[in-house]
Amino acid sequence: MLKTVYWISTLCLTLIAGTAHASADLPSIQRGAHIAAEVCNGCHSLKYIKYKDLLSIGLTRDEVNTLRGEKSLGDPLKAQMAANDALALFNVVPPDLSLMAEAREGGPHYIVELLTGFAPGADGQTTNRVFPGIKMPDIFGIAQADPAARKEIEQKAIDVAAFLEWAADPQAEARKRMGRGVLIYVAILTALFYLLKKKIWRRLK
Amino acid sequence: MSKKIVAWIDQRFPLSAFVKHELTDYPTPRNLSYWWGFGFLAGFVLVIQLVTGVFLAMHYKADSNLAFDSIQHIMREVNYGWLIRYLHSTGASAFFIVIYTHMARTLYYGSYRRPRELLWWTGQLLLLLMMATAFMGYLLPWGQMSYWGATVITNLFSATPGFGEDIVVWLRGGFAVDDPTLTRFFSMHYLFPFIISAAVLIHLVALHTVRSSNPSGLNLADKDNIPFHPYYTIKDLFGLGIFLLGYFAIVFFKPDLFIDPANNVPANPMQTPADIVPEWYFLPFYAILRSVPDLAGGVVAMLVSVLIFAAMPYLDRSRITGGARYRPIYRTLFYVFVIDIFVLGYVGAHPPASLMKLTGQIATSIYFLTFLLLPFVSRWEEGRLLQSGKLPADVVDMARKEIEASHA
Amino acid sequence: MCQNTTEIPDESRRDFLGALTASVAGAGAIAACVPFVKSMSPSSDVLDKATVEIDISKIGMGQEKTVAWQGKPVFILHRTPAMISEMESSKGGKDPEPDSKRIQQPEWLVVVGICTHLGCVPNKTASGWFCPCHGSVYDNSGRIIAGPAPKNLILPPYHFVSEEKIVIGKA
Ligand code: HEC
Repeated sequence: MLKTVYWISTLCLTLIAGTAHASADLPSIQRGAHIAAEVCNGCHSLKYIKYKDLLSIGLTRDEVNTLRGEKSLGDPLKAQMAANDALALFNVVPPDLSLMAEAREGGPHYIVELLTGFAPGADGQTTNRVFPGIKMPDIFGIAQADPAARKEIEQKAIDVAAFLEWAADPQAEARKRMGRGVLIYVAILTALFYLLKKKIWRRLK
Repeated sequence: MSKKIVAWIDQRFPLSAFVKHELTDYPTPRNLSYWWGFGFLAGFVLVIQLVTGVFLAMHYKADSNLAFDSIQHIMREVNYGWLIRYLHSTGASAFFIVIYTHMARTLYYGSYRRPRELLWWTGQLLLLLMMATAFMGYLLPWGQMSYWGATVITNLFSATPGFGEDIVVWLRGGFAVDDPTLTRFFSMHYLFPFIISAAVLIHLVALHTVRSSNPSGLNLADKDNIPFHPYYTIKDLFGLGIFLLGYFAIVFFKPDLFIDPANNVPANPMQTPADIVPEWYFLPFYAILRSVPDLAGGVVAMLVSVLIFAAMPYLDRSRITGGARYRPIYRTLFYVFVIDIFVLGYVGAHPPASLMKLTGQIATSIYFLTFLLLPFVSRWEEGRLLQSGKLPADVVDMARKEIEASHA
Repeated sequence: MCQNTTEIPDESRRDFLGALTASVAGAGAIAACVPFVKSMSPSSDVLDKATVEIDISKIGMGQEKTVAWQGKPVFILHRTPAMISEMESSKGGKDPEPDSKRIQQPEWLVVVGICTHLGCVPNKTASGWFCPCHGSVYDNSGRIIAGPAPKNLILPPYHFVSEEKIVIGKA
């Protein structure tokens, strides 16, 4: 019996430990927020994110005020370029980015690969390794960058991907916190059920 | 006080008698393993789905312009909306895991055999209702997979001879999946669970008429039956605890496990995603559909592949009880079948390149062959086993009696 | 583990274990209701609408404007000196209250436009408001003067941001 109790608690602890990611890298998310609002937001909307949401990842009120300009705290991050203008310019409306980190196979990793995937092609045109023929320009200019600049750009891509990962799932931290409590509770309850079951079934012997 | 209330009710409604008859005195075989706990689990998941579904419906908007946004509203703005949605989306998969296991147990132990045919068929009905409910529910988030899944599946009805196209248009309420489709799917998705609940009651009435089967396959003596409560209530609750550990681990730590990335892109009727796959619980049947080169043939094959389970009480002609327990060849068939289903699932999840296609076709043939061979194999194995002298005496007795009865 | 225990402690231990298990399970069941109950409270986007900013510079002397706050009508009345002096000299009806307690600036009356009887929206009259449902009469301070309504019109929380702007709701 002790063995089973041990087995159950071990199972839970492994589950909890195995699935509890290291806490998200807040400074990286914050840098990413600046890049997203200052650069990507020029063409892309982030319609499910409001300026006030940025406060919850630790941006100061002043920082948010600078980012939002005339807009109010409750406004979503709409694209600065009108959809029609974008359509005329790129032949496609740039997709909303708020769910992007969950809308592609590979998630945030895909975004990093995409942003750093630009390279000079054979015909002098810039091409993209992961999305050939993409209509988005090489935002960070990585195709022409020297190794030092490359490093910097890669970090930027990682930061913005981290921000987009948060944006796609802002409750992730709260969810995991709650999940740990729930799993521990259910583990205790299950152990109690087990003991009670043993006890009741012993009457049959 | 509570005694008085119960007495008051008992004069007007057979409450105590019901509890006694169905729970505290209901005789249950004492040798049931944990495999017999999956029926209870299925009932529990049904309740989870009903409750979370009702609360989701308070915030969801069944309108093609608003549906996708309303899901994000639930995820981001409604208090605990993310929890309720993940409980529901994970619950759908959990439901199928539990039900498929429940079915596998029935097949392994031959629990579908006489006199449990009706019990098995009501279960089959429940499976069909569940599949319909899950399919319609999957359209509601109005993502790319939702949209194209519904498009492909409603298109299957175009295989109906004569007026296939008309049926497709009628089902969709338009020439493509659109707002009318969404609103009717939502209506039906809300209705079906209540039909399922009613069907569950019928399933339970049938169960309590014929009683639970048991791993030995024998009809147990009275002394080997124990009251359902408290013995099986507590055993089922322990099983529930183990189930919940896994369920909550997914809900809280990997909730996107069963959500295709493409479904986080709003539905776009002008562009199909690179490869569309149904939810995992439909994959084996989807693979069968694709393995037949002809559309009508594929649809028929898929339908038959689901419905053929209903014929099991007649396909299995052996009169030896206990299913795979005493019958090595049947056991082998069972395992081959289970592995085959996993192969089909794998094939269904991948684009039909040439090797994949061939694998799918072989697996589809094996799927149907197991059913087709069963009547002959089971009868042949019966004769062999009865002569071998390796079976327990009471198993042989039971089989002999049944054989005699069938001659008379 | 418990092979050597006798019948009696055995039974009592089962009872204790049973009670413990039942209470832990019961507590969990109750806790599980919390998210569902809370999901029915206003969501964050609804709470965002908890305040509205109103430009009052366009409301002429003696005019009333109805604005929506939290989905409810709010009357903003720009009172004339005559109205003010009349209201200051009156104590109201069955729910007496001095006018000074009902205003921040004498020219501006801000009240929730819902009759305290059964929730209809009263119509503006020269001397105040008249509720079409059951005939309650309010004066230009929103106080109940006649009819079935038990209380004066409710005052929403608000503050002046400038001469021309007020914010209704708790900021
Ligand atoms: C100059 C306008 C512009 C800016 C600035 C811009 N993008 Fe884009 N982006 C586009 C366009 C146009 C597309 C559509 C590409 C296509 O579908 O061919 C796109 C597509 C994307 C995609 C989707 C690719 C796919 O798989 O469909 C991602 C991810 C993306 N952008 C990320 C970003 C990020 C992150 C930033 C900020 C660092 C950014 N973009 C800045 C124009 C822009």
